[in-house]
Amino acid sequence: MGIVKDLLKGLAVTGRTMIGTITGRELVTRPYPHVKREKPQRFHGRHVLNRYPDGMEKCIGCELCAGACPAECIYVRGKENDIDNPVSPGERFGYVYEINMLRCIFCGLCVEACPTEAITMTHLFEMSTTNREDGIYTKDELLMSPDGKVPHMFPDDPLADLGELDTADGWVRATAPGGRAAYQGVRMWAGTPGVGDWSPEPSQEERDRRSGDG
Amino acid sequence: MTTEREMVDTVTITVDGVEHQVPAGELLIKAAQDKGTYIPRFCWHERMAPVGMCRMCLVEIETPRGPALVPACTTPVNDGMVVDTKGATVAKAQEAVLEYLLINHPLDCPVCDKGGECPLQDQAMSHGPGESRFVEFKRTFEKPISISELVLLDRERCILCARCTRFSEEVSGDPLIEFIDRGNHVQVNTFPDEPFRSYFSGNTVQICPVGALTAKPYRFRARPWDLEKVESSSLFDTAHPRIEIHTSHDVVLRFTGVDNDATNHGWLSDKARFGFQYISSDDRVLVPLVRQDGEHVEAEWNEALQHAADRLGMIKDESGGEALAVLGGAQGTNEDAYALSRFARQVLGTNNVDARMDDALASHFLAATVDRARINDLDTADTIVLWGPDLKEEHPTLYLRARRAAQDLGVELVVVHPRANGLDDRAGHKITYRPGGGFALLEAFGRGDHPEFDAAVNGKKVVALVGMTDLADGPKLPEAVAAYLRSKAASCKILPLNSRGNTYGALDMGLAPDLLPGRVALDSESAGRLAGHWGQIPARPGRDTRGILEAVVAGEIRGLVLVGADPVRDVPDSALVAEAFEAAEFVVSIDTFVHDSNRSADVILPAATLSEKDGTVTNVEGRVQRVNQIRRPPGQTRTDWAILEDLSALIGSPMGLTSAETITKEIAEVAPVYAGVSWDLLEWDHRDGVVLPIEGPAPLTHIPVMLEGHGAPQAEFTLHAARVMYDDGVRLRHSPALRKLAPGAIACINPADAPKLGAREGARVRLVTRQGEGEFDVVLDEGTPSGVVYVPLNQRGGVSLGTDPVVRVTVVT
Amino acid sequence: MSVWSEEVQERARAIVARYPEKRSAIMPLLYLAMSVNGYLTDEGMEEVARWVDLTPAQVLSVASFYSMYKRERTGKYLVSCCTSISCMLAGGDDVLAAMEDESGVPDGETDEEGLLTVEHVECIGSCGGAVAVQVNYELIEGVTPEKGRALVRWLKEARPEVVNTDEMQTLFGSRTSFDWAVKEEGGAVGPYPAFQPLGTVRGGDE
Repeated sequence: MGIVKDLLKGLAVTGRTMIGTITGRELVTRPYPHVKREKPQRFHGRHVLNRYPDGMEKCIGCELCAGACPAECIYVRGKENDIDNPVSPGERFGYVYEINMLRCIFCGLCVEACPTEAITMTHLFEMSTTNREDGIYTKDELLMSPDGKVPHMFPDDPLADLGELDTADGWVRATAPGGRAAYQGVRMWAGTPGVGDWSPEPSQEERDRRSGDG
Repeated sequence: MTTEREMVDTVTITVDGVEHQVPAGELLIKAAQDKGTYIPRFCWHERMAPVGMCRMCLVEIETPRGPALVPACTTPVNDGMVVDTKGATVAKAQEAVLEYLLINHPLDCPVCDKGGECPLQDQAMSHGPGESRFVEFKRTFEKPISISELVLLDRERCILCARCTRFSEEVSGDPLIEFIDRGNHVQVNTFPDEPFRSYFSGNTVQICPVGALTAKPYRFRARPWDLEKVESSSLFDTAHPRIEIHTSHDVVLRFTGVDNDATNHGWLSDKARFGFQYISSDDRVLVPLVRQDGEHVEAEWNEALQHAADRLGMIKDESGGEALAVLGGAQGTNEDAYALSRFARQVLGTNNVDARMDDALASHFLAATVDRARINDLDTADTIVLWGPDLKEEHPTLYLRARRAAQDLGVELVVVHPRANGLDDRAGHKITYRPGGGFALLEAFGRGDHPEFDAAVNGKKVVALVGMTDLADGPKLPEAVAAYLRSKAASCKILPLNSRGNTYGALDMGLAPDLLPGRVALDSESAGRLAGHWGQIPARPGRDTRGILEAVVAGEIRGLVLVGADPVRDVPDSALVAEAFEAAEFVVSIDTFVHDSNRSADVILPAATLSEKDGTVTNVEGRVQRVNQIRRPPGQTRTDWAILEDLSALIGSPMGLTSAETITKEIAEVAPVYAGVSWDLLEWDHRDGVVLPIEGPAPLTHIPVMLEGHGAPQAEFTLHAARVMYDDGVRLRHSPALRKLAPGAIACINPADAPKLGAREGARVRLVTRQGEGEFDVVLDEGTPSGVVYVPLNQRGGVSLGTDPVVRVTVVT
Repeated sequence: MSVWSEEVQERARAIVARYPEKRSAIMPLLYLAMSVNGYLTDEGMEEVARWVDLTPAQVLSVASFYSMYKRERTGKYLVSCCTSISCMLAGGDDVLAAMEDESGVPDGETDEEGLLTVEHVECIGSCGGAVAVQVNYELIEGVTPEKGRALVRWLKEARPEVVNTDEMQTLFGSRTSFDWAVKEEGGAVGPYPAFQPLGTVRGGDE
């Protein structure tokens, strides 16, 4: 008796989900990659190297990211700027910048270590390649172009969502100086990677109200 | 030294509540450090006099009038002194000092080469206030300015500790950087258009407690946290100063000095510090090269080795071992030298081996003089007599030690030299003579013509630094000088000088025609004793470098093995070398680069160099130290001993050498003075090395003999040809930073001689001697006496003028 | 190979001979070098370095520490106004401002003609007669802004070859302090400190 009841109960779930899926009321699977789930604000995706609004590279080749990296997947080499044709403000710029994405654990410590906010993370997570060589992202692939767009290794890939590449992760703001209470209401650096600035840091009450907890 | 240390009175001081016994009169900062309490500091440096500039070392001591803050670096300890180094008052004072120091110090640490190993950064973290109350603009300067070919100065970062200015004045004796201006405008700088051209400028970079002085060859190359480090010894200086080799991603990026009581006190010459670029040079020979139809073509190791072995073996079978000779071996480790020595004797069957390039003292005198001095003996002597090369040019570590002894320790310094010498300003007596007139001067000493010399030497405790002053007087003069001083002084310790890499180690390994490993004279008895290890070896002494070259010309020697040797550049009689290389039937070269001497060699085998191999080396005082590998040998390069081992097997007489460490063990068994030397000993018990012999007396002691020399040359102009720090040697040529510092093919003459000759600064003159002639650019130089022409040896565009001092000078333009 | 004339070298020898250590002669030799060119040139400092066996950098270090060694050309008249505490309280800053305004030369600079240099200096030891002003190191005490203007006008118009404390004090000074200062009776002939061996004082060497 109990078995039949349990069976019917189970089939009811199946039936409800089936009908729900057909009618679109209760969607469990999604037609990825055509439809993507919205990622949390602080999602750690692929890195980008940012520029200042005037087009200068933010990276100064200080290797602090490489030093902070627990997976030792970052390789940086600095070089002296040509004073007449500088790549970055100041004396030094990142001449070589490579991240081995196969080794990267997306912890974001590089972002936290960076003194110039040159490296940030985006929401892009699709980085599968057919060989290991392509897993090493060089400066050409990491550095955003002067127009604020970030290069994608395979822009024609059906998986490529260039929109995700343009979305910076919110975690940056939460842990960097911009996330401190002292900076509440103060306009901070870039809202999208590299260009522009952040909207002011909201207060805790405001956050709670927005998330419906308050 | 130890006995003296024990006799020193001690006093009792209390540091942070703990009582310590410390030597009386010692500075508080040093006493506390030796007892394990680190007092923060920027300006104080153990090897320099205290100045109390930075105030970082403020500590609180009890005084009769209550507690007082005093700088620990200028306060000597007193008996019963009570010191607080960590209390609230001290912490507040130190925070205040740091806050002040950071008023003007830029926070560009991520860009700064010092970032990550910066005393200011470290102590701001450990002793700083965390926040600064100063919001004003920091002072700004042009960033960075080049104060020499090797050093950059960023005045914004300078905290005015005076370490660099004190080093250049107190230690190296060329105060070319100084404080300029006053008050809040003070900056360190050079005189306009007078660069910081010091042979020791790199030390200021190392001791700078901030990133104000940085080295150009290291600029932006790496950060401290991605460096791998290993301790080793520099072979650019025969005192073998201790260095730390820093690499990143298998590339050698810099050398730093390691403080070592026995030799260099932490200081390095710029040549020893920046002479690392050749290691990563693109011009390194990375694969074996075999000569075919007049061209070198790349070959497999087995082909090249087989070819070399076949031809050497053939010559040996046809004409015997005497038809083969080995030159070089002074640039490698003792293990390499031992393998070469054994290879020559056992495999080739010849005693025609020489690590000296016909420009050095007699092998027995160099390797086994009686009463050989230690470098530390300089500090305790009554008198140092320097009759030899300009130490500043050829023996920078000894130069600094001799300067310190004369300047700070009250040792009288006597310099005998044909022209201006780096130590002149500290010499109590300077005696100048005409090149080639050394023996005549020595006779004059004997006659008592120089009473001030007699007063400084007779009956005194003398350390004699003797070596080849220039080519004119030849190798006999230094030995005669040593013999003379021995006869006059109460006690005379001798340091016979030779300037090439590991020459002393090579001679100790028997790389001389009349020596066997372990300072043993070659005779049938000693050869017989070696038979157990090496088999039968020829017992008759072979030929030296000059003899070998002459025999090659005469056709008596058919095959040559060159190991890290460039005789075309180094042997003074370059005509003879050229003729010999023309005549040689078969030449094998084991080397790191293709150069003038192996350009037409039949086989070139690529060798590993310093930082790519383990081993031991022996310095000027007979001190054995470890050199360490940190880097993979690039390409297909291999260590000398491994190459020689393979060659020996192919020739049919394998030596059975398996690793550098086992060779060291074999040396300890075979070479008497090396008994007891092992890697364990050098790595654990004696990191600064040990002076040989450790066990028992040396088998050979050479007592200097008064040799007869020639009279003073009678000529209008005499030639003083001497080595200088920067020349066109193979390794320097491939080190871009140092290469441009070489003076070039110049001839220095006294300004008073210029009108006589009709020459002016920059004119071109032709110098003709009996053995050579060439054109040189004139430099008017007050340091060169009238009647003397000074030519730095081995310069780009220059030629060797041989050993005869009589020179004819004609102006070309 | 000196850049100096035989006469100047003679003076230099006399100066060096006064001291047991050669390097002690560095300061008087710097004044001597200054009197040769009107200011301290690089060549002048290099020459001093040769005389005292120091490096030029060490000489520059000394020369740049003291404000009376000028490393740039000064005008014919060096007008120095004291702005240290006593003079400041008595209106030294106003006097300086007035003189700057009248001459058109900002503090520390020289006019285009090379006639006037105006500068502020730290205490020149005449606190009793504040505000104190020096012209070529010849002292005037009790200067007011008006008298400062008058002084500048006088220098511009009269252009005296020799400036003399007594004369200027009568014309432009008022309250004086104790009269114990050593005066060069002859007056000064150039913008250098006046003392005998350098020949910068009228009547110079006799």
